[in-house]
Amino acid sequence: MSTSKKIGFLVTGLLMLAGLAAWGLQLKEGLVLTHMRNSYSWGLYVATLAFFVGNAAGGLVLSSMIYLFGVTSLKPFARIGALCAFANVTAAMFAILPDIGQPVRLYNMLLHPNLVSPLVWDVIVLNLYAGLSLLYLYLLMLPDLRGPLARIAIKVDDPAAFSEKWAKRLAPYMLVAAVGIHVITAWIFATQGARDWWNSAVMAPDFVAAALASGTAVVLIVCVLTYGIKEQYTAAYRALATFIAVAFFTHIFFMYNDFFIHAWYGSTEALDVLAITFKDYLPAHVFEVLAPLAGVILLLNGKVRKSGAAMVSACILLVAGIFVHRFLLMPGAFDRVPLTIAPLGTQDMQWSMPIASGQYNPLGNTFVTSWQYFPSAIEIAIVAGVLAYVGFLILFAIDRLPIVNAQKEST
Amino acid sequence: MRRGMVIDLEKCIGCRSCVVACKQHNAQPPGNWWNRVFTPGSHRHLTPPEKGEEYFLPVHCQHCNNAPCEKVCPVKATYRTEDGMIMVDFERCIGCRYCMAACPYGVRQFNWEDPKKAMEKYEYQQDYSYGYPEEFRLDGRLVYMPVRFKGVVEKCNFCAHYADKGLDPACVRGCPGNARHVGDLDDPDSKVSKMIRKKKGFTLLPEKGTRPNVYYLPPRRKEG
Repeated sequence: MSTSKKIGFLVTGLLMLAGLAAWGLQLKEGLVLTHMRNSYSWGLYVATLAFFVGNAAGGLVLSSMIYLFGVTSLKPFARIGALCAFANVTAAMFAILPDIGQPVRLYNMLLHPNLVSPLVWDVIVLNLYAGLSLLYLYLLMLPDLRGPLARIAIKVDDPAAFSEKWAKRLAPYMLVAAVGIHVITAWIFATQGARDWWNSAVMAPDFVAAALASGTAVVLIVCVLTYGIKEQYTAAYRALATFIAVAFFTHIFFMYNDFFIHAWYGSTEALDVLAITFKDYLPAHVFEVLAPLAGVILLLNGKVRKSGAAMVSACILLVAGIFVHRFLLMPGAFDRVPLTIAPLGTQDMQWSMPIASGQYNPLGNTFVTSWQYFPSAIEIAIVAGVLAYVGFLILFAIDRLPIVNAQKEST
Repeated sequence: MRRGMVIDLEKCIGCRSCVVACKQHNAQPPGNWWNRVFTPGSHRHLTPPEKGEEYFLPVHCQHCNNAPCEKVCPVKATYRTEDGMIMVDFERCIGCRYCMAACPYGVRQFNWEDPKKAMEKYEYQQDYSYGYPEEFRLDGRLVYMPVRFKGVVEKCNFCAHYADKGLDPACVRGCPGNARHVGDLDDPDSKVSKMIRKKKGFTLLPEKGTRPNVYYLPPRRKEG
């Protein structure tokens, strides 16, 4: 095992342990260890769920481009696509686990599911996608399951043809399931009339667009790191870079389209909500747009694509921007309490009805109309642990399974 | 039968007796308040706002007919009783707080820590306990308990434990101005239905389409 691999395992392993320890502490003391409170009831964990769900789009992009749209140059990367999909969709589920106040009662989801709750649909479709991407990965690896791995290979006459045939057959279902996880995750938010920031018909399409950009960038990072820059991959990298760019610009269009409509009409409530992102969180908003934009401009440059380090950095810029985009789901929804009224006899002001924060404060007010949220160290440690899990799983799978094609070693 | 409430803003003097009665009777842990009263437009309660008329607004669970909290709950811990009250089953709740994101009235509260620990931390008198002392089950479901579990959501349960004994909610009984009334909204001849009809009852955030079972009667304009 190479030194860099060892360091990778060590770092991700330690971060995972730290995250687990932080979760253990939070289980013991309660979610009081987070910086969420009654008026700001969702935070980093839910934003991270949305982030990882989006990143899981990579599997769909690869399988559809290869088997539905015939971009054969991407074929060597199909397994990486399926692996990244599985790693990210399971990470999404791990990210939401610490947000649950009574995780031992999760069996109630099976015993008493409420079939109109988007959260129930999301749990179903996330598990379905995790299962499908694992199955897909297995099918793609089938021709290369040799040596000790031969034990888990199903016996077929021609594994290569079998793998090809079934990968092609499964591709449309992967597409439906993948679009499903993004749309339904977006519906968790978009269905909520209580939060003007979320309650938009464009949220689901925008979620898909942002997911296609970040999910593909995650796959591209792993491809460049494993296969490196070689002549035979030029076309594949160009295809992925173009796809990321188209997806990102679609996302920007959807996002600003929504802002524009609300800003033009100019209702007080809508302007109040927009002000949270455009005033209070302006640096974060600038980052969520400019960092991915810089990444996309770099990726579209053929010279940049000749350097592995430059490509990985460009992808990281994009993924980091999308992460901030997912985090910005929260302030617009929770920074101000939703019950605002124009006091009788006035119409030029919106007054917020204070909420009990859930934390008795001997020095200040228990009732609040806004809550400045920034994740606590515990929240950050847990999320870092989940991120480390994604890295660990991908490293481990590439180390132990035939993810990277045998032909690579021969060249 | 649809159990509803009418709050007459003309009669509300902003004394917050209902808030305190609710907090005490329902054993709410430190930092959580199911009920609250403020002065709209003013940053300080009982102080006239710079613009507009001074009046006082009590807000707690609106027991909506189209309740987003009920619809989002993944495990049906939040549910509707036959007479239209929205309840939280403390034994069923998984603590995902989706209902808190879904409620436009901000009436839902979470047990961020163990209530006993919180009472110690905030130096409540040792062994002091308050509120209705026993658990109460409605149709077998735990809708009231004096000491809550850590990590579950709570909110106004329309004092189901008192309704069971034929008593009005604590806030209604604690109101010195008789501003609060409980009755059957399905019966056009009930006291509450008549009050809503005759005194132009309204609901909060009608644009959200939640159709609350809590109605407010507008305050009359003061003379002079």
